[in-house]
Amino acid sequence: MSNTPQTIAAHEQILHFPKGQKPSLSPNEWLIWSGSQDEGGLPNLEHGKKKVLVPFSWWVQHYHEDDIQSKAKAGNIGVWFAADEDILKHADLIEQGKAVWPVVAAHFPIFRDGRSFSTAALLRDRFQWSGEIRAIGDVLIDQLLQGARVGFDSFALRPDQKTDVALKQFDLFSVTTQNSWRDKRATLSA
Amino acid sequence: MYKYDHIDQTLVDQRVAQFRDQVARRLDGSLAEEEFRPLRLQNGLYHQRHAYMLRVAIPYGLFNSKQLRTMALIAEKYDRGYGHFTTRQNIQYNWVTLEDTPDILAELAKVEMHAIQTSGNCIRNITSDAFAGVAGDEYVDPRPVCELLRQWSTLHPEFAHLPRKFKFAINGAKEDRTILLCHDVGIELKKNTNGELIADIYAGGGMGRTPILGALIKTDLPWQLLPSYLTALLRVYNRFGRRDNLYKARIKILVKALSPEEFARQVEGEWLHIKNGDDNFTQAEWDRVAKHFTKPAYKNLPKLSDEQIINAASETEKASFARWLERNVKSHQVPGYASVILSLKPHGSVAPGDATTAQMLAIADLADQYSFGELRATHEQNLVLADVEQSKLYALWQEAKKQKVALPNIGLLTDIIACPGGDFCSLANAKSLPIAKAIQERFDDLDYLFDLGDISLNISGCINSCGHHHVGNIGVLGVDKDGEEWYQITLGGEQGNDAAIGKVIGPSFYADEIPDVMTNIINTYVERRSHDESFIETYRRLGVVPFKEAAYKNAKKKEKAEVAGDAS
Repeated sequence: MSNTPQTIAAHEQILHFPKGQKPSLSPNEWLIWSGSQDEGGLPNLEHGKKKVLVPFSWWVQHYHEDDIQSKAKAGNIGVWFAADEDILKHADLIEQGKAVWPVVAAHFPIFRDGRSFSTAALLRDRFQWSGEIRAIGDVLIDQLLQGARVGFDSFALRPDQKTDVALKQFDLFSVTTQNSWRDKRATLSA
Repeated sequence: MYKYDHIDQTLVDQRVAQFRDQVARRLDGSLAEEEFRPLRLQNGLYHQRHAYMLRVAIPYGLFNSKQLRTMALIAEKYDRGYGHFTTRQNIQYNWVTLEDTPDILAELAKVEMHAIQTSGNCIRNITSDAFAGVAGDEYVDPRPVCELLRQWSTLHPEFAHLPRKFKFAINGAKEDRTILLCHDVGIELKKNTNGELIADIYAGGGMGRTPILGALIKTDLPWQLLPSYLTALLRVYNRFGRRDNLYKARIKILVKALSPEEFARQVEGEWLHIKNGDDNFTQAEWDRVAKHFTKPAYKNLPKLSDEQIINAASETEKASFARWLERNVKSHQVPGYASVILSLKPHGSVAPGDATTAQMLAIADLADQYSFGELRATHEQNLVLADVEQSKLYALWQEAKKQKVALPNIGLLTDIIACPGGDFCSLANAKSLPIAKAIQERFDDLDYLFDLGDISLNISGCINSCGHHHVGNIGVLGVDKDGEEWYQITLGGEQGNDAAIGKVIGPSFYADEIPDVMTNIINTYVERRSHDESFIETYRRLGVVPFKEAAYKNAKKKEKAEVAGDAS
């Protein structure tokens, strides 16, 4: 989809890599709303996508509204966390959200900003979030492996990234030297 | 020393393959330079003034003769016949090409070496005491912890893109030889009254534009809990360290902004949730790693007196051999053995820390012949043979002289720490090497250098402070003013247990004034010192004023005016 001020651009194919499974591609069903439309409501949904990821900061302001509640209950709203969002300050809302969000996302404003790695790690470790965590924003081929290890299991690549090269990234290493969400450190007996 | 198991070997081999693919994508244009840059930096590859520079890790400074031969051959095959040992226990090659780099890394991997995380905004090569395991004043041999943390930090996914670079130093001796307090994290190892290994953690130290000494934020941490505690610490930094301003992104700025107490509280808060998790080290991992750091097969030897050692030399050589023993040979834990420092600081000829292919090959042979095939790199940019029999010191000295690495200037004024500076580095504002050379030429008289005694002189070509000028007794910093190279002097810096940041004495000097400025500062010390007082002791007693007045005594007219303005 196009990168309008209202949306965060993402590749048409989403790279899925559930824990314990092989990576695969499937069409992107989710619009990533930037939150920049400042009239309180959700944006017009493009390309027939009825599912939308909203900024968590917007959710905090609007989640109680009837319209939002009904869309959320239908499984059509997820949230994305900005890189500078301190998710530990909103533990209660995130606990409640676990019951309704089909997917959450964490944003990379630029690929070399690693804050969302810690966000994903905290969602897995602290909040025991077992659903999908999607990497969005400036998501490049060479950060997929790190993202997959800290807790991401789907990736909305930047539109110019090559999915065939991306799919190969997860096989590069057969060993690791520290524990992570996806894999324990390699040991000699294993 | 540590030997790779198949996990370590697989990891470095696969890392080479990963980087080879990244380089290929860069070369075919599918990876833009801006996006390739952090990837190559995390593999030690900089783009410098003239060419690519590759920085190879020497984890905690320890390496063997086989590795040194590979380093030598890489210098010969891919560079211009020399390598540069750095202040952070790495070796740098200044003239490599991008196309060759994957092959160089593959050659390094064959001898259990790599360039992983020697640059970039990640946990860098971990440094430690060059005399670990042999120093007489050691409480704890830090090497098993260094190695465990090397493995833990290698390709750590959560901390791959920190706000800024992140440097660990680890010390286990009474005297600090690691400049522990000038690191993002300093880990001081010791034993508690039950004989258990524990650590004190210092955070927020660093040099650069804003030199700060680290603050103690945690005491008596059991060694097993280092991974969870450091994860908590790095997570707080990763989430809240500044990313809006490159110059304010180091952890020292966060620790200062929050206060060390508040930073420690936040780390503790995070740690509470993970301290009992499965990230911590187990005894089994300790056993796996520590078995590589047992003592070599020392012989049962009598301890020799200096006189007995000197007597091996002929009458005409006795005086110069004694000098070398005094400055370049250090005491050892085991009777009959000593540690030898090979000086990479010849007067006025090469850059501090440089070694040629021929020297490296010869030094590798010396390591095999005299020191169980092992070597260490010091942060002062010299090399160490740690386990030499005292009875063989004379023979070793003669061999070292042939290689021009026997100058007895360790710890003296000409044992200069210097970054590559503007001759190579694209960050530098000014050249470092000609300044080092000019000072070494001015102070070329060994009698005089010995009379001056211990004094550290550190030179950085820019405020990034790779030459550690902030902690030199005398520091020289290259600065750029209107396109011209100038040099600012600091005095009173010190490394070690009394670590201190030097004070800027005033306006900068032209390059050609620096030897005279040094002479004036040194003369002040010689004139004003009390019996046996070192330079830093005299400086601390007298304060900066007499040194400052002397330094500007002959300064050029324009500079005098600035001094007057500065004082008003």
